[in-house]
Amino acid sequence: MADWTPLGDRAIRFARPDRSARAIVRAVRAWPGVIDVVVARQEVAAYFDGRPRGASDWAAWATWIDALATAPDDPEPVRDIALGAIYNGPDLDHVAQATGRHADEVRALHAAAIYTVETMGFSPGFAYLSGLPAALELPRRTTPRTRVPAGSIAIAGAHTAVYPFDSPGGWHLIGSVVGVRMFGPDGPLLRLGDRVRFVP
Amino acid sequence: MSFIVVRAAGLVTVQDLGRPGRMHEAIPPGGALVRDRLIAANRAVHNPDDAPAIEVLGSLVIRAEQPLRVATDTTAPRDLAAGAELTVGSEPRRVAYLALRGGIAAPLVLGGRGALLCAGLGGLIRAGQRFASAELAAINPAADAAIVPTVGPAARADGPIRLLEGPDPEHFVPGALELLVSSEYRILPSSDRVGTRLDGPALPRTAAPEASRPMVIGAIEVPRDGKPIVLGPEHPTTGGYPIIAVVAHDDLGRLFSIRLGGTVRFTAARLRDR
Repeated sequence: MADWTPLGDRAIRFARPDRSARAIVRAVRAWPGVIDVVVARQEVAAYFDGRPRGASDWAAWATWIDALATAPDDPEPVRDIALGAIYNGPDLDHVAQATGRHADEVRALHAAAIYTVETMGFSPGFAYLSGLPAALELPRRTTPRTRVPAGSIAIAGAHTAVYPFDSPGGWHLIGSVVGVRMFGPDGPLLRLGDRVRFVP
Repeated sequence: MSFIVVRAAGLVTVQDLGRPGRMHEAIPPGGALVRDRLIAANRAVHNPDDAPAIEVLGSLVIRAEQPLRVATDTTAPRDLAAGAELTVGSEPRRVAYLALRGGIAAPLVLGGRGALLCAGLGGLIRAGQRFASAELAAINPAADAAIVPTVGPAARADGPIRLLEGPDPEHFVPGALELLVSSEYRILPSSDRVGTRLDGPALPRTAAPEASRPMVIGAIEVPRDGKPIVLGPEHPTTGGYPIIAVVAHDDLGRLFSIRLGGTVRFTAARLRDR
Protein backbone atom coordinates (compact mmCIF):
# COMPACT_ATOMS: atom_id res chain seq x y z
CA MET A 1 0.00 0.00 0.00
CA ALA A 2 1.19 3.47 -0.81
CA ASP A 3 2.28 5.60 2.11
CA TRP A 4 1.15 9.18 2.56
CA THR A 5 1.40 11.88 5.17
CA PRO A 6 -1.05 14.60 6.22
CA LEU A 7 -0.09 18.12 5.15
CA GLY A 8 -2.24 19.83 7.77
CA ASP A 9 -5.92 18.93 7.96
CA ARG A 10 -6.87 19.76 4.36
CA ALA A 11 -4.14 18.17 2.27
CA ILE A 12 -2.07 15.00 1.96
CA ARG A 13 1.38 14.41 0.49
CA PHE A 14 2.79 11.24 -1.06
CA ALA A 15 5.65 10.00 -3.27
CA ARG A 16 5.31 10.88 -6.94
CA PRO A 17 4.17 7.83 -8.92
CA ASP A 18 6.12 6.99 -12.05
CA ARG A 19 3.62 8.71 -14.35
CA SER A 20 3.57 11.93 -16.33
CA ALA A 21 2.65 15.06 -14.39
CA ARG A 22 -0.40 15.55 -16.59
CA ALA A 23 -1.68 12.04 -15.91
CA ILE A 24 -1.22 12.55 -12.17
CA VAL A 25 -2.99 15.93 -12.12
CA ARG A 26 -5.89 14.58 -14.14
CA ALA A 27 -6.33 11.49 -11.95
CA VAL A 28 -5.96 13.23 -8.58
CA ARG A 29 -8.35 16.04 -9.52
CA ALA A 30 -11.00 13.37 -10.06
CA TRP A 31 -10.74 12.23 -6.41
CA PRO A 32 -13.71 13.20 -4.25
CA GLY A 33 -13.29 16.58 -2.58
CA VAL A 34 -9.99 17.47 -4.29
CA ILE A 35 -9.71 21.09 -5.46
CA ASP A 36 -5.99 21.35 -6.21
CA VAL A 37 -2.92 19.25 -6.97
CA VAL A 38 0.79 20.06 -6.87
CA VAL A 39 3.21 17.73 -8.61
CA ALA A 40 6.75 18.35 -7.42
CA ARG A 41 9.82 16.41 -8.54
CA GLN A 42 9.52 13.65 -5.98
CA GLU A 43 6.21 14.29 -4.28
CA VAL A 44 2.60 15.08 -4.98
CA ALA A 45 0.11 16.93 -2.78
CA ALA A 46 -3.67 16.76 -3.03
CA TYR A 47 -5.70 19.61 -1.52
CA PHE A 48 -9.30 19.17 -0.36
CA ASP A 49 -12.18 21.62 -0.11
CA GLY A 50 -12.81 20.58 3.45
CA ARG A 51 -11.59 18.21 6.07
CA PRO A 52 -11.72 14.71 4.58
CA ARG A 53 -14.73 13.16 6.22
CA GLY A 54 -14.56 10.00 8.29
CA ALA A 55 -12.00 7.28 8.78
CA SER A 56 -13.03 5.39 5.66
CA ASP A 57 -12.07 8.36 3.47
CA TRP A 58 -8.69 8.67 5.15
CA ALA A 59 -8.02 4.95 4.75
CA ALA A 60 -9.13 5.10 1.13
CA TRP A 61 -6.35 7.43 0.02
CA ALA A 62 -3.71 4.70 -0.01
CA THR A 63 -5.86 2.74 -2.46
CA TRP A 64 -6.37 5.80 -4.62
CA ILE A 65 -2.64 6.53 -4.60
CA ASP A 66 -1.84 2.94 -5.60
CA ALA A 67 -4.19 3.29 -8.55
CA LEU A 68 -2.18 6.26 -9.87
CA ALA A 69 0.52 3.84 -11.04
CA THR A 70 -1.81 2.88 -13.90
CA ALA A 71 -3.52 6.25 -14.39
CA PRO A 72 -4.33 6.84 -18.05
CA ASP A 73 -2.45 9.54 -19.90
CA ASP A 74 -4.17 12.84 -20.58
CA PRO A 75 -5.82 12.36 -24.00
CA GLU A 76 -5.05 15.92 -25.05
CA PRO A 77 -2.03 15.94 -27.36
CA VAL A 78 1.24 17.31 -26.00
CA ARG A 79 1.86 20.88 -27.15
CA ASP A 80 5.07 21.93 -28.88
CA ILE A 81 6.29 25.37 -27.86
CA ALA A 82 9.17 27.21 -29.51
CA LEU A 83 10.66 30.09 -27.55
CA GLY A 84 12.79 32.69 -29.28
CA ALA A 85 16.03 33.04 -27.34
CA ILE A 86 19.08 35.27 -27.09
CA TYR A 87 22.03 33.68 -25.32
CA ASN A 88 23.56 36.72 -23.66
CA GLY A 89 23.04 36.05 -19.96
CA PRO A 90 25.40 37.39 -17.30
CA ASP A 91 26.43 33.85 -16.26
CA LEU A 92 27.12 32.50 -19.77
CA ASP A 93 30.87 32.86 -19.45
CA HIS A 94 30.87 31.36 -15.97
CA VAL A 95 28.83 28.38 -17.22
CA ALA A 96 31.26 27.94 -20.11
CA GLN A 97 34.22 28.00 -17.76
CA ALA A 98 32.61 25.69 -15.17
CA THR A 99 31.62 23.12 -17.81
CA GLY A 100 34.93 23.38 -19.67
CA ARG A 101 33.36 24.52 -22.93
CA HIS A 102 33.30 27.52 -25.17
CA ALA A 103 30.32 29.86 -24.76
CA ASP A 104 29.23 29.00 -28.32
CA GLU A 105 29.11 25.33 -27.37
CA VAL A 106 26.93 26.15 -24.35
CA ARG A 107 24.53 28.03 -26.62
CA ALA A 108 24.46 25.23 -29.16
CA LEU A 109 23.96 22.50 -26.56
CA HIS A 110 21.14 24.35 -24.82
CA ALA A 111 19.37 25.23 -28.08
CA ALA A 112 19.66 21.74 -29.55
CA ALA A 113 17.83 19.97 -26.74
CA ILE A 114 14.10 19.32 -26.57
CA TYR A 115 12.71 19.90 -23.09
CA THR A 116 9.61 18.77 -21.22
CA VAL A 117 7.74 20.65 -18.48
CA GLU A 118 8.25 18.19 -15.66
CA THR A 119 6.89 20.17 -12.71
CA MET A 120 5.74 23.71 -11.94
CA GLY A 121 6.45 25.57 -8.73
CA PHE A 122 8.46 28.32 -7.01
CA SER A 123 6.51 31.22 -8.57
CA PRO A 124 3.37 31.45 -10.73
CA GLY A 125 3.99 29.83 -14.11
CA PHE A 126 7.59 28.78 -13.32
CA ALA A 127 8.16 25.56 -15.32
CA TYR A 128 10.97 23.13 -14.48
CA LEU A 129 12.12 21.85 -17.87
CA SER A 130 13.79 18.45 -17.94
CA GLY A 131 16.06 17.40 -20.78
CA LEU A 132 19.06 19.62 -20.10
CA PRO A 133 22.18 18.06 -21.66
CA ALA A 134 24.23 16.42 -18.91
CA ALA A 135 27.26 18.47 -20.03
CA LEU A 136 25.48 21.62 -18.76
CA GLU A 137 24.54 20.36 -15.30
CA LEU A 138 25.86 22.62 -12.56
CA PRO A 139 24.89 23.21 -8.92
CA ARG A 140 23.03 26.45 -8.17
CA ARG A 141 24.92 29.65 -7.54
CA THR A 142 26.32 29.81 -4.03
CA THR A 143 24.75 33.24 -3.55
CA PRO A 144 21.28 33.72 -5.07
CA ARG A 145 20.52 36.99 -6.81
CA THR A 146 17.94 39.17 -5.09
CA ARG A 147 16.44 40.07 -8.46
CA VAL A 148 16.38 38.07 -11.67
CA PRO A 149 14.60 39.84 -14.57
CA ALA A 150 11.44 38.28 -16.01
CA GLY A 151 12.20 36.33 -19.19
CA SER A 152 15.66 35.16 -18.09
CA ILE A 153 16.66 31.71 -19.34
CA ALA A 154 18.40 29.88 -16.52
CA ILE A 155 19.95 26.51 -15.74
CA ALA A 156 20.59 24.67 -12.47
CA GLY A 157 21.02 20.98 -11.69
CA ALA A 158 19.32 18.89 -14.35
CA HIS A 159 16.85 21.65 -15.30
CA THR A 160 16.42 24.76 -17.35
CA ALA A 161 13.67 27.34 -16.88
CA VAL A 162 12.48 30.80 -17.84
CA TYR A 163 11.67 33.18 -14.98
CA PRO A 164 8.07 34.39 -15.57
CA PHE A 165 8.40 37.36 -13.17
CA ASP A 166 11.13 39.49 -11.67
CA SER A 167 12.04 37.49 -8.59
CA PRO A 168 14.96 36.37 -6.46
CA GLY A 169 16.76 33.39 -7.95
CA GLY A 170 19.76 31.15 -7.58
CA TRP A 171 20.04 29.69 -11.10
CA HIS A 172 22.69 30.54 -13.70
CA LEU A 173 21.38 33.08 -16.23
CA ILE A 174 22.47 32.21 -19.76
CA GLY A 175 20.03 34.27 -21.85
CA SER A 176 16.54 35.59 -22.23
CA VAL A 177 13.45 34.82 -24.27
CA VAL A 178 12.43 37.21 -27.01
CA GLY A 179 8.99 38.44 -27.94
CA VAL A 180 6.98 36.42 -25.44
CA ARG A 181 5.54 36.94 -21.98
CA MET A 182 5.77 33.82 -19.86
CA PHE A 183 2.64 34.79 -17.88
CA GLY A 184 -0.29 36.69 -19.36
CA PRO A 185 -4.01 37.29 -18.86
CA ASP A 186 -4.69 33.65 -19.74
CA GLY A 187 -2.15 32.38 -17.23
CA PRO A 188 1.21 30.70 -17.78
CA LEU A 189 2.57 30.24 -21.31
CA LEU A 190 4.01 26.84 -20.38
CA ARG A 191 1.94 23.99 -18.98
CA LEU A 192 2.76 20.59 -17.55
CA GLY A 193 3.81 18.16 -20.27
CA ASP A 194 4.61 20.78 -22.92
CA ARG A 195 7.58 20.05 -25.21
CA VAL A 196 9.75 23.13 -25.39
CA ARG A 197 12.57 24.24 -27.69
CA PHE A 198 14.68 27.37 -27.60
CA VAL A 199 15.27 29.01 -30.97
CA PRO A 200 18.27 31.38 -31.13
CA MET B 1 -22.24 53.93 -6.40
CA SER B 2 -18.55 54.81 -6.37
CA PHE B 3 -15.85 56.16 -4.10
CA ILE B 4 -12.38 57.57 -4.46
CA VAL B 5 -9.36 56.60 -2.37
CA VAL B 6 -8.15 59.61 -0.40
CA ARG B 7 -5.27 57.79 1.31
CA ALA B 8 -3.99 54.22 1.44
CA ALA B 9 -1.14 53.08 3.65
CA GLY B 10 0.22 49.56 3.90
CA LEU B 11 -0.92 46.54 1.91
CA VAL B 12 -4.35 47.56 0.64
CA THR B 13 -5.82 45.38 -2.15
CA VAL B 14 -9.06 44.12 -3.66
CA GLN B 15 -9.67 40.55 -2.49
CA ASP B 16 -12.28 37.85 -2.86
CA LEU B 17 -12.07 34.17 -1.97
CA GLY B 18 -9.21 33.52 -4.36
CA ARG B 19 -8.44 31.33 -7.37
CA PRO B 20 -8.47 27.69 -6.30
CA GLY B 21 -7.75 25.03 -8.90
CA ARG B 22 -4.53 26.36 -10.44
CA MET B 23 -1.85 25.23 -8.03
CA HIS B 24 -0.56 22.73 -10.60
CA GLU B 25 0.44 25.81 -12.65
CA ALA B 26 2.29 27.15 -9.60
CA ILE B 27 -0.47 29.70 -9.00
CA PRO B 28 -1.33 29.82 -5.29
CA PRO B 29 -4.99 30.17 -4.30
CA GLY B 30 -4.60 33.73 -2.98
CA GLY B 31 -7.77 35.40 -1.74
CA ALA B 32 -8.52 37.12 1.55
CA LEU B 33 -5.90 36.75 4.27
CA VAL B 34 -8.78 36.17 6.73
CA ARG B 35 -11.65 34.69 4.76
CA ASP B 36 -14.19 34.80 7.59
CA ARG B 37 -13.72 38.53 8.01
CA LEU B 38 -14.22 39.21 4.29
CA ILE B 39 -17.38 37.11 4.44
CA ALA B 40 -18.62 38.96 7.54
CA ALA B 41 -18.16 42.35 5.85
CA ASN B 42 -19.94 41.12 2.72
CA ARG B 43 -22.84 39.66 4.65
CA ALA B 44 -23.33 42.91 6.54
CA VAL B 45 -24.28 44.62 3.26
CA HIS B 46 -26.11 41.55 1.90
CA ASN B 47 -23.43 40.71 -0.65
CA PRO B 48 -22.61 37.17 -1.75
CA ASP B 49 -19.86 35.74 0.47
CA ASP B 50 -17.33 35.79 -2.36
CA ALA B 51 -17.96 39.36 -3.51
CA PRO B 52 -14.78 41.40 -3.97
CA ALA B 53 -14.09 43.75 -1.04
CA ILE B 54 -11.11 45.81 0.05
CA GLU B 55 -8.52 44.20 2.31
CA VAL B 56 -6.72 46.70 4.51
CA LEU B 57 -3.43 45.76 6.15
CA GLY B 58 -2.75 49.28 7.32
CA SER B 59 -5.21 52.08 6.78
CA LEU B 60 -7.51 53.47 4.13
CA VAL B 61 -9.52 56.67 3.75
CA ILE B 62 -12.24 56.85 1.11
CA ARG B 63 -14.63 59.59 0.01
CA ALA B 64 -18.05 58.73 -1.36
CA GLU B 65 -18.83 60.21 -4.76
CA GLN B 66 -22.45 59.13 -4.55
CA PRO B 67 -24.44 57.81 -1.59
CA LEU B 68 -22.96 54.45 -0.58
CA ARG B 69 -23.81 51.62 1.74
CA VAL B 70 -20.70 50.09 3.26
CA ALA B 71 -19.65 47.88 6.16
CA THR B 72 -16.47 46.51 7.63
CA ASP B 73 -15.94 43.16 9.30
CA THR B 74 -16.25 44.78 12.72
CA THR B 75 -18.71 47.64 12.24
CA ALA B 76 -22.40 47.74 11.42
CA PRO B 77 -23.45 48.72 7.89
CA ARG B 78 -23.82 52.44 7.36
CA ASP B 79 -24.81 54.87 4.64
CA LEU B 80 -22.32 57.44 3.44
CA ALA B 81 -23.61 60.63 1.83
CA ALA B 82 -21.89 61.95 -1.27
CA GLY B 83 -18.69 63.70 -0.15
CA ALA B 84 -18.54 61.90 3.19
CA GLU B 85 -15.24 60.33 4.17
CA LEU B 86 -14.67 57.03 5.95
CA THR B 87 -11.47 55.78 7.58
CA VAL B 88 -10.81 52.05 7.84
CA GLY B 89 -7.81 50.90 9.88
CA SER B 90 -6.74 47.39 10.60
CA GLU B 91 -5.70 48.18 14.21
CA PRO B 92 -5.98 46.59 16.73
CA ARG B 93 -5.88 43.61 14.39
CA ARG B 94 -3.68 42.99 11.37
CA VAL B 95 -6.40 43.23 8.76
CA ALA B 96 -9.80 44.80 8.14
CA TYR B 97 -12.25 44.47 5.25
CA LEU B 98 -14.38 47.16 3.66
CA ALA B 99 -17.38 45.86 1.75
CA LEU B 100 -19.45 47.98 -0.58
CA ARG B 101 -23.10 47.13 -1.19
CA GLY B 102 -23.12 45.18 -4.49
CA GLY B 103 -19.43 44.27 -4.26
CA ILE B 104 -16.36 46.08 -5.63
CA ALA B 105 -16.31 46.04 -9.43
CA ALA B 106 -13.11 44.30 -10.57
CA PRO B 107 -12.28 42.30 -13.72
CA LEU B 108 -12.41 38.51 -13.59
CA VAL B 109 -8.88 37.24 -14.35
CA LEU B 110 -7.94 33.56 -14.10
CA GLY B 111 -11.09 32.82 -12.15
CA GLY B 112 -10.77 35.54 -9.51
CA ARG B 113 -11.20 39.27 -9.05
CA GLY B 114 -8.72 39.88 -6.27
CA ALA B 115 -5.10 41.00 -6.41
CA LEU B 116 -2.48 38.26 -6.62
CA LEU B 117 0.66 40.33 -6.34
CA CYS B 118 3.04 37.40 -6.92
CA ALA B 119 1.43 36.84 -10.34
CA GLY B 120 1.24 40.51 -11.25
CA LEU B 121 -2.57 40.48 -11.01
CA GLY B 122 -4.15 43.64 -9.61
CA GLY B 123 -1.95 45.76 -7.42
CA LEU B 124 -1.66 47.85 -4.31
CA ILE B 125 -4.43 50.41 -3.98
CA ARG B 126 -3.20 54.01 -4.13
CA ALA B 127 -4.68 57.43 -3.46
CA GLY B 128 -6.78 58.72 -6.36
CA GLN B 129 -8.06 55.30 -7.46
CA ARG B 130 -11.81 55.10 -7.98
CA PHE B 131 -13.94 52.05 -7.22
CA ALA B 132 -17.53 51.38 -8.24
CA SER B 133 -20.10 48.89 -7.09
CA ALA B 134 -20.45 45.74 -9.17
CA GLU B 135 -24.21 45.96 -8.47
CA LEU B 136 -24.38 42.30 -7.49
CA ALA B 137 -27.86 41.24 -6.47
CA ALA B 138 -28.56 41.37 -2.74
CA ILE B 139 -28.69 38.07 -0.93
CA ASN B 140 -28.80 37.01 2.70
CA PRO B 141 -31.58 39.52 3.47
CA ALA B 142 -31.75 38.20 7.03
CA ALA B 143 -28.03 38.46 7.64
CA ASP B 144 -28.06 41.74 9.55
CA ALA B 145 -28.21 40.00 12.89
CA ALA B 146 -25.02 39.17 14.72
CA ILE B 147 -22.27 39.30 12.14
CA VAL B 148 -19.50 37.58 14.04
CA PRO B 149 -16.46 36.20 12.26
CA THR B 150 -16.22 32.52 13.08
CA VAL B 151 -12.91 30.96 13.82
CA GLY B 152 -13.95 27.38 14.09
CA PRO B 153 -16.18 25.70 16.64
CA ALA B 154 -13.43 24.29 18.81
CA ALA B 155 -11.27 27.39 18.97
CA ARG B 156 -11.39 29.89 21.80
CA ALA B 157 -10.99 33.48 20.69
CA ASP B 158 -7.83 33.89 22.73
CA GLY B 159 -6.60 30.30 22.96
CA PRO B 160 -3.38 29.04 21.43
CA ILE B 161 -3.30 28.36 17.68
CA ARG B 162 -3.62 24.64 17.00
CA LEU B 163 -0.88 22.92 14.99
CA LEU B 164 -0.78 19.59 13.24
CA GLU B 165 2.64 17.98 13.44
CA GLY B 166 4.84 17.18 10.50
CA PRO B 167 5.21 16.37 7.70
CA ASP B 168 9.03 16.63 7.80
CA PRO B 169 10.07 15.42 11.28
CA GLU B 170 13.40 14.03 10.00
CA HIS B 171 14.49 17.63 9.34
CA PHE B 172 14.22 18.70 12.98
CA VAL B 173 16.19 17.91 16.08
CA PRO B 174 14.02 16.07 18.66
CA GLY B 175 12.33 18.62 20.87
CA ALA B 176 11.96 21.28 18.15
CA LEU B 177 8.17 20.96 18.03
CA GLU B 178 8.01 21.07 21.83
CA LEU B 179 10.05 24.28 21.70
CA LEU B 180 7.62 25.75 19.16
CA VAL B 181 4.53 24.97 21.25
CA SER B 182 6.04 25.99 24.58
CA SER B 183 7.36 29.39 23.46
CA GLU B 184 5.86 32.74 22.67
CA TYR B 185 6.49 34.10 19.16
CA ARG B 186 6.15 37.64 17.90
CA ILE B 187 4.63 38.51 14.51
CA LEU B 188 7.35 40.40 12.62
CA PRO B 189 6.51 43.60 10.71
CA SER B 190 8.12 42.11 7.58
CA SER B 191 5.13 39.73 7.32
CA ASP B 192 2.99 39.97 4.20
CA ARG B 193 0.46 37.96 2.22
CA VAL B 194 3.16 35.45 1.24
CA GLY B 195 4.34 34.64 4.74
CA THR B 196 3.92 35.58 8.37
CA ARG B 197 7.37 35.76 9.90
CA LEU B 198 7.81 34.84 13.53
CA ASP B 199 10.46 35.91 15.99
CA GLY B 200 11.19 33.68 18.95
CA PRO B 201 13.34 30.69 19.82
CA ALA B 202 15.05 29.27 16.73
CA LEU B 203 13.92 25.74 15.87
CA PRO B 204 16.96 23.48 15.47
CA ARG B 205 17.19 21.57 12.21
CA THR B 206 19.08 18.42 11.31
CA ALA B 207 21.45 18.20 8.35
CA ALA B 208 18.85 16.42 6.17
CA PRO B 209 19.13 17.83 2.63
CA GLU B 210 16.45 20.20 1.39
CA ALA B 211 14.22 19.21 -1.52
CA SER B 212 11.57 21.21 -3.33
CA ARG B 213 8.23 19.90 -2.04
CA PRO B 214 4.56 20.86 -2.25
CA MET B 215 3.51 23.63 0.15
CA VAL B 216 0.15 24.55 1.71
CA ILE B 217 -1.34 27.63 3.35
CA GLY B 218 -0.62 27.50 7.07
CA ALA B 219 2.54 25.43 6.66
CA ILE B 220 5.21 26.53 9.16
CA GLU B 221 8.42 26.34 7.18
CA VAL B 222 11.77 26.72 8.85
CA PRO B 223 14.77 28.22 7.00
CA ARG B 224 18.28 27.41 8.14
CA ASP B 225 18.23 30.24 10.69
CA GLY B 226 15.46 28.38 12.53
CA LYS B 227 13.01 31.31 12.50
CA PRO B 228 9.59 29.99 11.46
CA ILE B 229 7.48 31.42 8.62
CA VAL B 230 3.75 30.63 8.34
CA LEU B 231 2.74 30.51 4.68
CA GLY B 232 -0.12 32.80 3.65
CA PRO B 233 -2.50 32.89 0.67
CA GLU B 234 0.21 33.94 -1.84
CA HIS B 235 2.69 31.24 -0.82
CA PRO B 236 4.91 29.54 -3.42
CA THR B 237 3.30 26.22 -4.33
CA THR B 238 6.62 24.43 -3.83
CA GLY B 239 9.48 25.24 -1.52
CA GLY B 240 12.68 23.79 -0.13
CA TYR B 241 12.42 24.65 3.56
CA PRO B 242 11.13 21.79 5.73
CA ILE B 243 7.73 22.08 7.41
CA ILE B 244 7.67 21.49 11.16
CA ALA B 245 3.87 21.73 11.49
CA VAL B 246 0.77 23.06 9.74
CA VAL B 247 -1.74 25.42 11.34
CA ALA B 248 -5.21 23.86 11.69
CA HIS B 249 -7.37 25.24 8.90
CA ASP B 250 -10.00 26.61 11.29
CA ASP B 251 -7.35 28.59 13.20
CA LEU B 252 -5.73 30.33 10.18
CA GLY B 253 -8.04 33.34 10.44
CA ARG B 254 -7.26 33.83 14.10
CA LEU B 255 -3.51 33.65 13.50
CA PHE B 256 -3.60 36.02 10.53
CA SER B 257 -5.73 38.48 12.53
CA ILE B 258 -3.01 39.09 15.12
CA ARG B 259 -1.51 42.53 14.57
CA LEU B 260 2.12 42.96 13.54
CA GLY B 261 4.21 43.09 16.68
CA GLY B 262 1.64 41.02 18.56
CA THR B 263 2.39 37.65 20.06
CA VAL B 264 1.12 34.16 19.44
CA ARG B 265 1.28 30.82 21.20
CA PHE B 266 0.75 27.43 19.61
CA THR B 267 -0.52 24.10 20.82
CA ALA B 268 -0.13 20.65 19.28
CA ALA B 269 -3.37 19.13 18.05
CA ARG B 270 -4.15 15.75 16.60
CA LEU B 271 -5.90 14.77 13.42
CA ARG B 272 -8.97 12.76 14.17
CA ASP B 273 -10.06 10.00 11.83
CA ARG B 274 -6.71 8.40 11.40
